[in-house]
Amino acid sequence: MSQFLVAVGFGLATASVVALAAVAVSLQVSVTNFINFAYGDFMTFGAYIAWSATRHGINLVPAIILGGIATGLLGVLANILVFRPFMRQGVRPVTLLIAGVGLSFIVQNALTVIWGAEPVRFNVTLGNSLHVGPFLLTPGDLVMFGTSVTLLVLLHVMLAYTKFGKALRATSNNSDLAKACGIDSERVVSITWFLAGLLTAVAGVGLVLQESTLDPTTGFTELFVIFGAVILGGIGRPYGAMLGALAIGLLTEISGAYLNAAYKTSIAFGVVIVLLLFRPQGLFATKGKIS
Amino acid sequence: MVYYLTDLLVLGCINSIMVVGLNLQYGYTGLLNFAYYTYVAIGAYVAAVTTMGRTAMAGGGTYILGWTLPWYVGLLIGGVVAAILGAVVFGFTVRRLRSDYLAIVTVSAAFIFWNIINTYEPLFNGATGLYHVPNIISTSTTRYGFIMLALSAGILAIFVWGSRRIFRSPFGRLLRSMREDEAVTAAFGRTSWQPQLWIFMIGCFIAGIAGGLFVFYITAWSPYAFLPLESFILLAALIVGGAGNYWGALLGAFVLIEGLAELSRFLPSFGNGADVGAIRAIVIGFVLILMLRYRRGGLIPERWLHWYGPPAKPVLPRARFAAARRAR
Amino acid sequence: MSSEASGDLLNVQDVGYAYGGVWAVRGCSFSVRSGEVTGLIGPNGAGKSTMIEMLSGTLTPREGKIHFDGSDMTGLRPVQVARKGIARTFQTARVLAALPVIENVVLAAQGQIGENPLKALFFRGSWRSQEEELRKEAAGLLDWLGLGHHLLSPAGTLSGGQRRLMEIARALMAHPKLMLLDEPTAGVFPETSQLIASRIREIAAQGVTVLLIAHNMGFLSAVADDVVVMAEGRVLTRGPLEVVREHAGVVSAYLGTAVAGSRETGPTTAQGASE
Repeated sequence: MSQFLVAVGFGLATASVVALAAVAVSLQVSVTNFINFAYGDFMTFGAYIAWSATRHGINLVPAIILGGIATGLLGVLANILVFRPFMRQGVRPVTLLIAGVGLSFIVQNALTVIWGAEPVRFNVTLGNSLHVGPFLLTPGDLVMFGTSVTLLVLLHVMLAYTKFGKALRATSNNSDLAKACGIDSERVVSITWFLAGLLTAVAGVGLVLQESTLDPTTGFTELFVIFGAVILGGIGRPYGAMLGALAIGLLTEISGAYLNAAYKTSIAFGVVIVLLLFRPQGLFATKGKIS
Repeated sequence: MVYYLTDLLVLGCINSIMVVGLNLQYGYTGLLNFAYYTYVAIGAYVAAVTTMGRTAMAGGGTYILGWTLPWYVGLLIGGVVAAILGAVVFGFTVRRLRSDYLAIVTVSAAFIFWNIINTYEPLFNGATGLYHVPNIISTSTTRYGFIMLALSAGILAIFVWGSRRIFRSPFGRLLRSMREDEAVTAAFGRTSWQPQLWIFMIGCFIAGIAGGLFVFYITAWSPYAFLPLESFILLAALIVGGAGNYWGALLGAFVLIEGLAELSRFLPSFGNGADVGAIRAIVIGFVLILMLRYRRGGLIPERWLHWYGPPAKPVLPRARFAAARRAR
Repeated sequence: MSSEASGDLLNVQDVGYAYGGVWAVRGCSFSVRSGEVTGLIGPNGAGKSTMIEMLSGTLTPREGKIHFDGSDMTGLRPVQVARKGIARTFQTARVLAALPVIENVVLAAQGQIGENPLKALFFRGSWRSQEEELRKEAAGLLDWLGLGHHLLSPAGTLSGGQRRLMEIARALMAHPKLMLLDEPTAGVFPETSQLIASRIREIAAQGVTVLLIAHNMGFLSAVADDVVVMAEGRVLTRGPLEVVREHAGVVSAYLGTAVAGSRETGPTTAQGASE
């Protein structure tokens, strides 16, 4: 039983990281209606920027913020240079997907060129694992969990109560109608890309703190776990993505505790496959936006 | 020097075979298969374990089968097994999913497959992989290169011929119309999934053969030879070369895969070492995006294949009509 | 209820379809006589396109029955409908842009031996002569419809009017018993419209039944033997065009006011309207 609870604890920790990235993806998908394959590499990018900053003596928290801003800008740039011209051309979703793949090549390998393929570590000692109730967590996990929850709450506040949040929800629901109501949907899209990039970077750092090493492929391998969470919760539904992340996190950790841990990621991928085949609208489908 | 050239050409031919197969699936029919390289790997593994026997690897190592069939039988079996697996996957997925979801599913499946092979040793010896796969024929290294070149070029020619035959046939026309507009194809009485299944299997068969050729050439195979990334590179090569056009497939394979790999030899390596491959991938990414944006057809677009000779002199429609009505 | 009055190829009985909660068609009944050109007319929103979608199998009627050539066709999917001998054109011409015009048309021919993958690859002899015959026939049809110079052009380069002509050739290639034409002259030049009208008459003279949606009264008077008027999801009346035009109900359906007995020529435009 205690093994189970420990696994649950790990699951929560994993979920907190995945949730940030999954919410980011969901937000972006909800306003642009396609899936960007390069998100994993955005995560890696953000983590590298933060890591670089810590190596120049900046503390962890400002470094994360720096990484977040940098990745947000990267997202905006990607939108302007790559995706938006395609969308204006009116291409099929496949083309956007492949463009995302191309972008992923570029980002991931640019990281390799700049920082090398060797894994690196964050130079932060966060102490050993603590027993928090029945769970066994590192302080890193706890910090990540707290950060994640805070950010998600802030996000919820923004979505529900601010003008921008309403504009975003309107655009995701029906972008033509939103435009007709005077909402500048291109600006909404740009800001959404920025936010998504920011969240992804924080998730990236969180991932590295958990996995403890960072290399150019870190984010990409995590990408499909994130997709799993996004799909579980319903594509384009940020709140669903949070729940999806929780489900995936728990599922992979618990099954990883009882089966060979090397298969953990495969299980997550398997979930993705089963879902897309049998219930692509996610677990919590109501009348809502389905891509 | 000769050896270097031969090596280049053999790999170019094998890569071309792969892209030609992918062209059938994606170029002709619009089926996006992000797990294509998985079928190459299956062909390689099966060809290996059906021909290498039990004692090839000195230090032991566990793997299934371990037969000692002649190389051409092993090669063929590899292709067939890949095709059968393709049929199974197709039945489960391609029929039901639109292309971007299909992409996610196929990549996920490719990863799972990779993970299982890498971890579960009894299958194909896990991460270490298989080595000392027998040569097709015992001979000197240079001569073996020539033989492999002749073999792979010959097989490539056969598959290109097959692609051409399909393109100019009603079957090819049907595939392309399904790619362009499934509703119209249905409106004229054609179901989609059977032709799609066939072409998917043929494409996977070709992948398996390529894998078999590969493994007989380099005599070893391991999970690091077929990272899921490779499928993307093949797809990029196809799109840049010209999806839908088998000459474009050849060009894409030689230019993007081979050409870039060789070109990067002549660049100074800067910074951190592993860069040659990384720079190549960056270039591929850029070229891919630019091509998609400004020349979606690729370097050799499909429409260059549409020369069938002058159409026959039209016959008076009324007579045609009456004849057709009587036949109905 | 028997589906076969003498000469009825198509019989629609009390058919209804709803989009969500809104009934686009309800209690709609009419029949189409074999060998005739029947126009399906009516104001915007009358349900004409929905009716065509049901006849072609794209939509399944929620109510009612459709009988074709003696058998019940209700709820069949487009592939099966096509195999029964019904060919259609689309409201917005759908061509396979990347393929040459002649390939677009040849595609529609039924029973092509070369579509079998094994035969395509290994037994070219078995389908080569059929393919040549089909290409000749397609070339002939296209020439007959004025597209003889565009046989090898990619279909994407055709103008709107040319695409409509190509769609007609394509539908004919399937040797159908019934052709469903959805606004075959929307957005075409008057000369093309005349060409289409005369060609449709020739098609009917060969024994093919045609049901078409159109708005242009000039075109209809040239091409239709009979018209069925739909309004608000059901059939208002039917008969020869000149008679139906004077019908008070028809006039008010189009114009929204009761102008009994006045000699209206009716709307001559309203092209390309969506239902």
